[in-house]
Amino acid sequence: MATILPQGASIFDKHVENEYIRFDKLSALVIDDISSMRHAIRTQLQSIGMNSVGVAVNAHEALELIGLNTYDVILCDYNLNKSSSGQHFLEYLRNENILSATTLFIMLTAETEYSFVANAVEFIPDDYLLKPCSEAKLRSRLERLIDRRTYLMRVLKAMDIRRYDVAIHECNKLLATAADDRRRMDVLRRKAEAQLKLEEYTAVLDTYARAATIRADTPWILLGMARAHYALGDSAQASTLASELIDKNKSYVAAYELLAKIRLEADDEEGAFDLLLRSSAILPSAKRLRSVAQAAFLLGRLDEAKANAEAAIQLSTGSMVERSGDYLSLAQTLVDMGDHKSAILTLEKNARKHGDEGIFGVAKGAILAQAYFDAGEREKAKKLMDRSISLLASRKNSFVMTALGKAALKVGDVILGLKLLTKAIQCSGKDEMRIARYVKKSMVDTGQKDKVEDVIDGGRKRILLLLDEATKLMRTAHFEEANQMVVEALDIQEENIETLMTAAQLHLLWLKHGGLDDKIMARAKNYLSMLDKLVPNNQKVMNFYRFFNEIASK
Amino acid sequence: MEKTLSALVVHDIKNALALLEIDLEQLIHRENAPTEGLRAYRRCVDLKSRLISFLTLYKHDQSGLQPLRQEVVLLEFIEDLVRNSQSGMAAESHHGHKITVSIDYEKMKMGSMATAWLDENLVELAMESAINNAIRYTHHRVGVWVEQTPDALILNVQDDGVGVGVVGELVQRNVPDQSSSTGLGLALCKAVAEAHGGGEVRLGNVAGGGALFSMTLRSTS
Repeated sequence: MATILPQGASIFDKHVENEYIRFDKLSALVIDDISSMRHAIRTQLQSIGMNSVGVAVNAHEALELIGLNTYDVILCDYNLNKSSSGQHFLEYLRNENILSATTLFIMLTAETEYSFVANAVEFIPDDYLLKPCSEAKLRSRLERLIDRRTYLMRVLKAMDIRRYDVAIHECNKLLATAADDRRRMDVLRRKAEAQLKLEEYTAVLDTYARAATIRADTPWILLGMARAHYALGDSAQASTLASELIDKNKSYVAAYELLAKIRLEADDEEGAFDLLLRSSAILPSAKRLRSVAQAAFLLGRLDEAKANAEAAIQLSTGSMVERSGDYLSLAQTLVDMGDHKSAILTLEKNARKHGDEGIFGVAKGAILAQAYFDAGEREKAKKLMDRSISLLASRKNSFVMTALGKAALKVGDVILGLKLLTKAIQCSGKDEMRIARYVKKSMVDTGQKDKVEDVIDGGRKRILLLLDEATKLMRTAHFEEANQMVVEALDIQEENIETLMTAAQLHLLWLKHGGLDDKIMARAKNYLSMLDKLVPNNQKVMNFYRFFNEIASK
Repeated sequence: MEKTLSALVVHDIKNALALLEIDLEQLIHRENAPTEGLRAYRRCVDLKSRLISFLTLYKHDQSGLQPLRQEVVLLEFIEDLVRNSQSGMAAESHHGHKITVSIDYEKMKMGSMATAWLDENLVELAMESAINNAIRYTHHRVGVWVEQTPDALILNVQDDGVGVGVVGELVQRNVPDQSSSTGLGLALCKAVAEAHGGGEVRLGNVAGGGALFSMTLRSTS
């Protein structure tokens, strides 16, 4: 409800010029491919009072500078070049956690060219500024943004060092005194982010509900709520919210992607594929084209898999989102299509710059082996496969093992093939669902359909049995025996989260009951750090850590 | 001419204008800057803003404007708007005497911490063009104020010039020739209002002289 103000403006008096902002203490980076523009913006920033202003021509140069300095402000042109827009760059920086939470990222765009993208994506910059703009406007926008940042500084700094509990505490302090809805929204958004990191989903929902009372149809609120419900296992509610978001905002790709994930888990592969297809049509990025290619491949829609893999290569070549794996996916698709000639061409000629080294070389050999086998060159196929297997050695890469397994099945070495595929499942960790689908396809393609269940479920069933046994032994204080079970389970699948949780719990109990033993202590620490990498900020793991520190400090 | 080629040329001209604006901006920052410099700067700003208005309108006609709404603190927004339109003018305009642009605080009808849900860049473009237009026709002063009701946001710009030829006519029904800068500006404002879910744009005369521009954005939520 609007308040009718009395005559006079006393209530506005506290809004004076932001003279307390010390521009000379702030650093900035300007990224623009047009040199005159780059330097003009630098001149403007210097004229505002900034002494430390860096410039970069493209994302590569910018990335180097960002690695060396923490900038207060980054001004990035939206149209960096053909292969990587400012938006792609921002997504890259956020996905890789390269940007400090305290850095303001401002996108410079021509009139409204940003709006379509901005309404579609999850990662939006701190602000969009229409370029070219006057110095006065640049200054007032910066003042406002820096003002906002200063307001949130304690929260942002806590986020930067991953102290999310502190961040939440600081948010609550700010919320108690926030003067306007804009500030309240800013704080609530950060609070929800921190709670999400701590996986406190019920609390996250409360935070979003509070934000929704200010502005219910804000896209990030709806998306966040959908994700929290999903994480809490309520896929139906998550679906409803994501669909509602799409109704209101037809181009919001993150909502399509969440829905696709839900459909996939409900075994609706076709439905998931359609959603991915729509999201990549709205906003094609190498990452989206890749997931479409992958989904199409798994569905056996090889023409679409090929087209999208090719598009991903074309879009990313020469940019920092270029991935050698794209050539592998394309080549495997071509092999499956029966086009061994193109598969060989793709790997031996087009992907030449990626060489034969490392894990790429191993996978390349595995797919080439399949292609040469189809071409009737069985000797060559066998040689390539043997080389890959010897190079695989102790590497545990599920994707590569799947390709190798398929090659082995193709050349007729069923025992080796099934062994490799079983191994692929066992070391798939968080990626288990996806790898299982690859393995299944490889087996169906090579006439091993009847053994699918054994390969996919065999290891898992054994692990569950072992863990069950270990838990029983642990409760009766038979730590040594329980440990044997855990070690055996870890041998089947190294990065199994459940196994690692049991292992950690076992060692903590062991320490508590058996006194302090350096060896057990080191092992406990190792399990905890593995878990921290696999499931960062997990509440249970954090509790383990707390418990560990308590014991260690005695 | 081919469409993409035209787009490239227009883009180039716009960037060149912007660079010129920045050069002139640096020039007028200097002590003892010539008044011609200030005049050239004003003219450059005006040209650039007309070109951008035109491009935004073009985009509106081609594919519709899609606003990116954010929670905007109204007072901050208006204060920045007025401050920025002041800065380029310094003390003098083409009238040869001082013109002031300021907020009519006594006419403001909203909470001091009120926010609105709008695309700041689009509304700013529209308001800049309305303020520039008022500066062109005013004698001494341009006043800006905002009224917020539960279902609308009304942005006003009033000048003390001779007023406009048509009184109280709805712009929707009477868009002046778009080649005039007034017409272009009004068409832009209308497009921006439309993009925000509908509203009205009026330009009329006020009793006692001068013209009043007002843009109403209806609240959507």
